[in-house]
Amino acid sequence: MTHVMLKGLTRRFDDVIAVNNLNLEVESGELIAFLGPSGCGKTTTLRMITGLLLPSEGDVQFDGKSMVAVPTEKRGAVMVFQKHLLFPTMDVARNVGFGLKMAGISKKEIDRRVSEMLELVHLPGFETRRPHELSGGQQQRIALARALIVRPNVLLLDEPLANLDANLRLEMRELIRTIQREMNITSIFVTHDQEEAVMLADRIALMFDGVLQQFDVPKAFYERPNSAEVAHFFRNDNFLAGTRRGDCVETGLGSLAILPDHVTQPDGKVVVTVRPEDIYLAPTSDENLIHVKVLAQVYMGTYKQVQLDVDGNKWLAHGPADLDIREGDTIPIQLPKTHIWLLPPANGK
Amino acid sequence: MNRLKLMEKLRVPMMLFPAIAIIVVLFGGGMISGVGQSVGYFPVIGLNNFTLDYYRDVLTDDGFITSLWLTFRLAFLSTLFSSVLAVAFALVLRHTFRGSRLLTLIYQVPIPIPHLVVATGIVLLVSQSGLLSRSSVALGLTQTPRDFPVMVFDTAGVAIQLTFLWKEVPFIGVVVLAVLKSVGPQYEEIARTLGANSWQRFRYVLFPLMLPGILSTSIIVFAFVFANYEIPLLLGVRHPTTLPVMAFRNYQDPDLALRPQAMAISMILAVVAIFLLVAYKRLAKYAVES
Amino acid sequence: MQRMFRWIAIIAIVLGVALPVIPQIIWSLAHRWLFPSLLPTEWSMSSWEYVFSPSSRVVEGFMNSLEIAVFVCILSILVGLPAARAIALNDFKGKGIIEWLLMVPIIVPGIVSTLGIHQLFIRLHLTNTFIGVSLVHLIPCIPYMVLVMVSVFSNYGTELEDTARTLGAGPIRVFLNVTLPGILPGLMVATMFTFLISWGQYITTVLIGGGTIVTLPVVLFPFITGINYSNAAAISLVFVAPAILVLIFTSRQLGQDSAVMGGFGRL
Repeated sequence: MTHVMLKGLTRRFDDVIAVNNLNLEVESGELIAFLGPSGCGKTTTLRMITGLLLPSEGDVQFDGKSMVAVPTEKRGAVMVFQKHLLFPTMDVARNVGFGLKMAGISKKEIDRRVSEMLELVHLPGFETRRPHELSGGQQQRIALARALIVRPNVLLLDEPLANLDANLRLEMRELIRTIQREMNITSIFVTHDQEEAVMLADRIALMFDGVLQQFDVPKAFYERPNSAEVAHFFRNDNFLAGTRRGDCVETGLGSLAILPDHVTQPDGKVVVTVRPEDIYLAPTSDENLIHVKVLAQVYMGTYKQVQLDVDGNKWLAHGPADLDIREGDTIPIQLPKTHIWLLPPANGK
Repeated sequence: MNRLKLMEKLRVPMMLFPAIAIIVVLFGGGMISGVGQSVGYFPVIGLNNFTLDYYRDVLTDDGFITSLWLTFRLAFLSTLFSSVLAVAFALVLRHTFRGSRLLTLIYQVPIPIPHLVVATGIVLLVSQSGLLSRSSVALGLTQTPRDFPVMVFDTAGVAIQLTFLWKEVPFIGVVVLAVLKSVGPQYEEIARTLGANSWQRFRYVLFPLMLPGILSTSIIVFAFVFANYEIPLLLGVRHPTTLPVMAFRNYQDPDLALRPQAMAISMILAVVAIFLLVAYKRLAKYAVES
Repeated sequence: MQRMFRWIAIIAIVLGVALPVIPQIIWSLAHRWLFPSLLPTEWSMSSWEYVFSPSSRVVEGFMNSLEIAVFVCILSILVGLPAARAIALNDFKGKGIIEWLLMVPIIVPGIVSTLGIHQLFIRLHLTNTFIGVSLVHLIPCIPYMVLVMVSVFSNYGTELEDTARTLGAGPIRVFLNVTLPGILPGLMVATMFTFLISWGQYITTVLIGGGTIVTLPVVLFPFITGINYSNAAAISLVFVAPAILVLIFTSRQLGQDSAVMGGFGRL
């Protein structure tokens, strides 16, 4: 139950700025995802929160108290790594009890809490197993137990699911979510997988090149991305340049009606976007109807993905699996105004 | 059986044969002959009755016991000091810093240097007229060579230990360093976030990881020092001396009757070495399993 | 704190390694160096002249050492390579015993087996001969060569050779074009260290060579605690030369190829 605040956090490695002026507030008990491609500075940020790395500038605060001068071992910010999980020289019980032993807790108390913790991660009775006897998923759960047993102020997870196969990943996701709720521990995890972030996190901090792009609830990244780059990261590449005038946008394909209260871009140059799944390939009315050429189509099992030429831009749209169109056809599609979102104009375009 | 099959069956034995034959003849022959002489088979001087008397003579001889204790003490202390220093240096050298590669290279210099060269250098360094003694005069700590502590031909065997230390620290160190480098910093980082201070991180995380490497190299170092002949002969006192020197002296003695005793001591050295090898193999197996 | 430890270690390592080396270099060039001068008051090359004069027997010892070590290396490679390959790539009955047989001669002190074999060699007239000395040097050298090459062969595997075979290369071409280039770095290191094991043998040489076969360590030995420090230092520097060459060639492998160091690479 710790409130975490990052203020102007910056980290340079020689000439490279790994994290640039990061400001972010995590409410106590919240589960936050740091999302971004590899090398975007998310792990660097995590390491600065633990104190394993010192910031070049800025401050890390737990409950309003600056942590920069506090050494890692006294911060109570516990890190779970994606590999090298368990101490190979210790059995499971000694791994899980490690943090308590360091704090000088009595052997009896440690034993009791270890078995409690093993119960919590669904591995009761595993005390005397050695790490190399465990599967990847079991190792991950033991690592989690080892972190949670010290009741950390902040729990930090570096790609916690990256080394697991699909089924285990699902199971582990559930477990993290449940335990995090139950113990109410402020948690931050790092991932490059946007689906994982969306499914697990209360809020997502998306970072590119050391700069925070957007910090919001998962839904917002689909419905209200800050920029074309953010939209692209969430698999939306449908962009069309235009000019907003009040409740409509002028584009090369004519005027499109929008909901003025929904969008945030002011009048002037904008970029129009609609997510592939929000485009109507079988229009229901005449509003925002445009005629576009079908470039390609791919059968995806449960739906059909269609590539369209929208005024020289390649768009994707999802239609029903049995949609009967042919490549080269020109078809009418509808861009529902409830799903039209306006992005700031691209630099120099 | 067709020819191809026969060739296939004989391939491995044929590849092994020359090497194994040479070793069995030379080493095995030497050992059998040694055992024979130690139990009274020595026709040259008219001995050919089986007896364990020579072992009894040796084992109840005060000189042997003193010598055994000295040999053990030299080997044990050299091994202990070498391991402690090797661990300390490995803890520093595992980090990358400006010049760390060059420093690691310098650290490895002693590994191929012959012991006799080291002994020469140690004498020139620590004898009473050596470089250290001269430096101590220059610093005003002593006036004459006699003021400087005796380190060569001394009963404590300081020069002997220094020679082995110079050779063995990098030997243990390189192995331990390789372990630390392959392990990487993550275990320590985990321990740190879990609240372990720097001593606890060493004691509970790094040291257990290094231990198999330290122990296995230590056994080799101990075995080597225990059996070394040249260095104690060159840099130690004449009496008491170590077991290998004692064995060789008895063997070279004009009194041929001492030869079976020399062989008995020699066989005791062999038994100690083989015992250490068993310990090493056990440890290596354990290290692989965990 | 960490910085302080680092500096202590840097000073300790550099000073520790250099200290026994420095007086040898200075002494070999000193003509007059009375106590308590920190540096010689007169310099000269006289001990180096002595080293290269026939009366010191240094050149003779150097050549003997070199011939024996090269002979030992060639024999070790010839019998060691097939054995190492057989052990590395095959599972067979008695493999454990073979491995023991290879480790025991390395760990059992040379003085033990040599004392035992001395009588045998006298009878076979092998004492005081070049061959006799070379044979006792083989006792630690062959096992060392085999053990190092076992790990080199098992790391190299057989996939590349098998591929070459399926592409139509015969056994000899496979060995020359595929196997040899692959194992060469490991073989070079193993050979150099085998060379140094033979090069450093003292007591075995004295016992079997009996004063007739004079190698460099036999020449050096009495000088070490003798009264002429300059000559001792100069001979010692000649003796260390090949080790320095090996160091330069192998500095990159030492830390990585644990087989070379792997416990048994005692020199």
